[in-house]
Amino acid sequence: MTEHPNPVQELWQSQPVEGTKMSLEEIRRRAGKFERRIIWRNRRETLACLLTCVMFAYFMVGAPSLWFRISYALFIAAMIWVAIQLHRKASARSLPAEMGAYGALQFFRGELERQRDSIRNVWPWYLVPTIPGYIVLNIAWVTARPGHWLPVVGFDVFVIALFIGIWKLNLWGSRCLQRKIDELNAAANGL
Amino acid sequence: MAVASEQDELYQEAAQTHGAALERLARAYEADAELRRDLLQEIHVALWRSFSGFDRRCSLRTWIYRVAHNVAASHVLRERRAHAQTLVGLEELEQLPDANSGQAAADRSHALNRLLELIQRLKPLDRNVILAYLEGMDAASIAEISGLSSGNVATKIHRIKQVLARQFQHGPAPTGPAGEAHD
Repeated sequence: MTEHPNPVQELWQSQPVEGTKMSLEEIRRRAGKFERRIIWRNRRETLACLLTCVMFAYFMVGAPSLWFRISYALFIAAMIWVAIQLHRKASARSLPAEMGAYGALQFFRGELERQRDSIRNVWPWYLVPTIPGYIVLNIAWVTARPGHWLPVVGFDVFVIALFIGIWKLNLWGSRCLQRKIDELNAAANGL
Repeated sequence: MAVASEQDELYQEAAQTHGAALERLARAYEADAELRRDLLQEIHVALWRSFSGFDRRCSLRTWIYRVAHNVAASHVLRERRAHAQTLVGLEELEQLPDANSGQAAADRSHALNRLLELIQRLKPLDRNVILAYLEGMDAASIAEISGLSSGNVATKIHRIKQVLARQFQHGPAPTGPAGEAHD
């Protein structure tokens, strides 16, 4: 501590405070509430994944050909893969103990890098897993109704545009995060 | 349970010795009274949870300030996304025109509001440094809390002093009651 606070430090330190206190019971109750919220969020995500899988399984059972059944099975596998990746990325969030172990600079750089890495390349964990399903679905449509290729091409163009849109949007987001990381690095170097 | 009681004891010690400083910190990070209360409670809960992993590799004070600043700065980033608020660095703060110091500094409450306004405009890392400085910490402690090098902290403190000197040229009026809880 400095020995003689200057007038502005004195002004800051002598400002009236409410003296807010929280009992240990209240703290535990709130901490439990927070943990329950995380558990429920995970349950909701799992349920959404399960419902989608059930929907595809229903289509699979009633599918008119083997190609369609393979396509829906691939979509189910992709859904499960994406859900696992989402869960892994979400559970990597910083815990309070980490907040105390690192200074503000390291903490924020870590948080921003984590966010950047999760969105920088969405291909391997979000987009690519669904591609086999789409390819087999194309084969299923073409073999089911030979000659009716126009709606298939239209659908493919839509899917490709959607994939590119998602990729570009995430790329833009990761660039914004990288700029913030560069700012932090510049601040760390005293620039 | 020995671990749980140590966690409780550490939290109680933290709340007792740094409770007032945590309130001031919350005030510096959130202007809205309702959100500030939520933020302060979030800090207290995060502190209690963090003590289960407190390894004593740094002082208790450093740990408390790191957790509190990191929770509060996360709150700022979250709110900034919601309200598209632009935050500035100390360098930009130096470019601000001088305050109408004769009037502003004459009244403690005005001066405090002006000080809060300045702090709330800062980016989290610079806010971290200025708050630790205002709490009377030395450069080494601020470096430990912020993760910046001592030299970098010294440069930032130099800038802070210049900004504060310009904005509060005549100093805040010396009258007025001291805080109820002053650590």
